[in-house]
Amino acid sequence: MLEIKNLHVSVGDKEILKGLTLSIKAGEVHAIMGPNGSGKSTLSYVLAGRAGYDITEGSITYNGEDLAALVPEVRAARGVFLAMQYPVEIPGVTTMMFLKTALNSQRRARGESDLDAVAVLKLVRAKAKTLNVSEEMLKRALNVGFSGGEKKRLEILQMALFEPKLAVLDETDSGLDIDALKLVAEGVNTLRDPSRAMLVITHYQRLLDYIVPDRIHVLARGRIVAEGGKELALELEAKGYEHILKEPA
Amino acid sequence: MTLALPSTIQARKAEAATIFGSHGVPTRRVEEWKYSDLKVALGEAGIGTDQALWQVDALPDGVEMFDLSRDGAPDWVQKHFATAGRNIMGTASLTLSDGGVALRIAKGAQVSAALKLAFHGNGHVRGLLVLEEGASLTLVESVGIADFRNVGFEIVLGEGASLEHVRISPRSGDAVLVEEASLRIAAGARYRAHFAGFGSKLSRMELEIALEGEGAQAHLSGVSVLDGKRHSDVTTHVIHRHGNTTSTQLFKHVAGGYARAVYQGKVTVAKGADGSDSHQSAKALLLSENAEADLKPELEIFADDVKCAHGAAVGDLDAESLFYLRARGIPEAEARGLLLQAFLEDAVAEIVNTDQRELVRTELLTALKGIA
Ligand SMILES: Nc1ncnc2c1ncn2[C@@H]1O[C@H](COP(=O)(O)OP(=O)(O)OP(=O)(O)O)[C@@H](O)[C@H]1O
Ligand SMILES: [Mg+2]
Repeated sequence: MLEIKNLHVSVGDKEILKGLTLSIKAGEVHAIMGPNGSGKSTLSYVLAGRAGYDITEGSITYNGEDLAALVPEVRAARGVFLAMQYPVEIPGVTTMMFLKTALNSQRRARGESDLDAVAVLKLVRAKAKTLNVSEEMLKRALNVGFSGGEKKRLEILQMALFEPKLAVLDETDSGLDIDALKLVAEGVNTLRDPSRAMLVITHYQRLLDYIVPDRIHVLARGRIVAEGGKELALELEAKGYEHILKEPA
Repeated sequence: MTLALPSTIQARKAEAATIFGSHGVPTRRVEEWKYSDLKVALGEAGIGTDQALWQVDALPDGVEMFDLSRDGAPDWVQKHFATAGRNIMGTASLTLSDGGVALRIAKGAQVSAALKLAFHGNGHVRGLLVLEEGASLTLVESVGIADFRNVGFEIVLGEGASLEHVRISPRSGDAVLVEEASLRIAAGARYRAHFAGFGSKLSRMELEIALEGEGAQAHLSGVSVLDGKRHSDVTTHVIHRHGNTTSTQLFKHVAGGYARAVYQGKVTVAKGADGSDSHQSAKALLLSENAEADLKPELEIFADDVKCAHGAAVGDLDAESLFYLRARGIPEAEARGLLLQAFLEDAVAEIVNTDQRELVRTELLTALKGIA
């Protein structure tokens, strides 16, 4: 489903990803771990199509298509979803109104008809309930004044609502209490499906107890320096990144 | 000129004529007109002596009306007409206008229907609105397109009166539209105003507000969405003459193309007006390199123990917010429109009258579609 080959990405003059190769098949869940500043969020932004991240070499293929050629909204309509590490606060746009606009934009782009306000409300309410997102939050301006955990839960609510094909979760577990972590993990596991792929970026092995990945990649200094099964997370938790980084990648 | 004018009013008009005579049509060299060169905008045609028109649709119950071009001005007109405001174009309309409209809400009357007042046509015209003690009203002012019009408006709020004033200035290419409103606000009275502007060759709304009694309040807000070479100028001067008075101002502008948004807001807290409170904020988003915003909040404090805050900021659309919306599937133009709407929203939310608030929202939406 997703094939990243020898990806080099620069922001301004600074090269951040330096030959990253990674592939994920439909139905799989992969995790990326790695030290601060190694390029994890950069990878997630490049997948979602944020401006200012220049691909200088290599390729990203998504369902056989060159992902880099698509603008962010088209990627979203094709099923790419990024739960951001730092969801953006947008004063003046209510959460509910945003959800409706986004959902209908994606539907329109796929040639489906708009859902009316009542239908959207029903859908959102159902998802909100399982994620413990209050009615009051939905009425507030998007992410404005939300706690760290509330923002993350709203990201997962969107994932549940949009039902993406490729979901990238950038540190969605950071800042969550244990109960919220379980809710989020459940949200992710509900979406696990042979037709979907997920890329979960995290610093903590704990999340991977709940979302058991098929494969773990270690990203350091802009490249994948180690790979393994779920046991790799335990090893990293115990020993840190030092011993991996010492070995030549 | 009508000969039937009472001598008191004639004297006030003569005084205005002297003031106007000493200034002439303002140019950029006049500080208050620095960003709006009226003389250049008018060119050879100048300000002329035409008489502009006014119209009131379906006078609501509780509103008394007098046509200023007629004989027999009632006492309340004689008492208030031409008493407030001596800014340049205000003196021009006092000098050159023979007519206009005077409106009065009697003591304690709560007028539930909005009063709809339109100014149209070329030339000069006057307006007078008097709310007596405890009266309340929503005034919806509409602005017709014209080559040039100069409206001089006086508003008098008696003790405890309450007025909401909503004015929408339309989008036009060549119009030169000027209005000066002078207000006197008595103790415990509240004035709320919202000015929505879509720009023209030169559009200027100037306000001079005197807070004259304990607890008097003025809450001003406004939005503008400008494209092409359109211009929109809101210039305010709020004078806290009495202690414990409050003023707030919130203006938001969006400008693209070669457009120019102007906000000049001066707040004066007079000597002895202790315990006054004023807040001013003006923000602009520029959508193109050639668009311009001149935001100039200004404070003059001669009193003690006052709380005054002011700020101005000019920026462009937040890239991170735009990316967030697009990454969730919202097409770029629509996402930009949403963010612009969101930027303007807190100023629009200041409008209390729900019909007018919705109307302004709808007009903004249309204007933003053309600009985003
Ligand atoms: N816009 C930018 N301009 C300059 N440098 C940037 C920019 N964005 C990211 N970087 C740099 O790129 C490197 C990778 O950043 P990135 O956010 O991808 O790291 P990360 O792996 O997600 O880290 P963390 O675990 O702390 O979230 C960092 O050194 C960061 O400072
Ligand atoms: Mg990161």
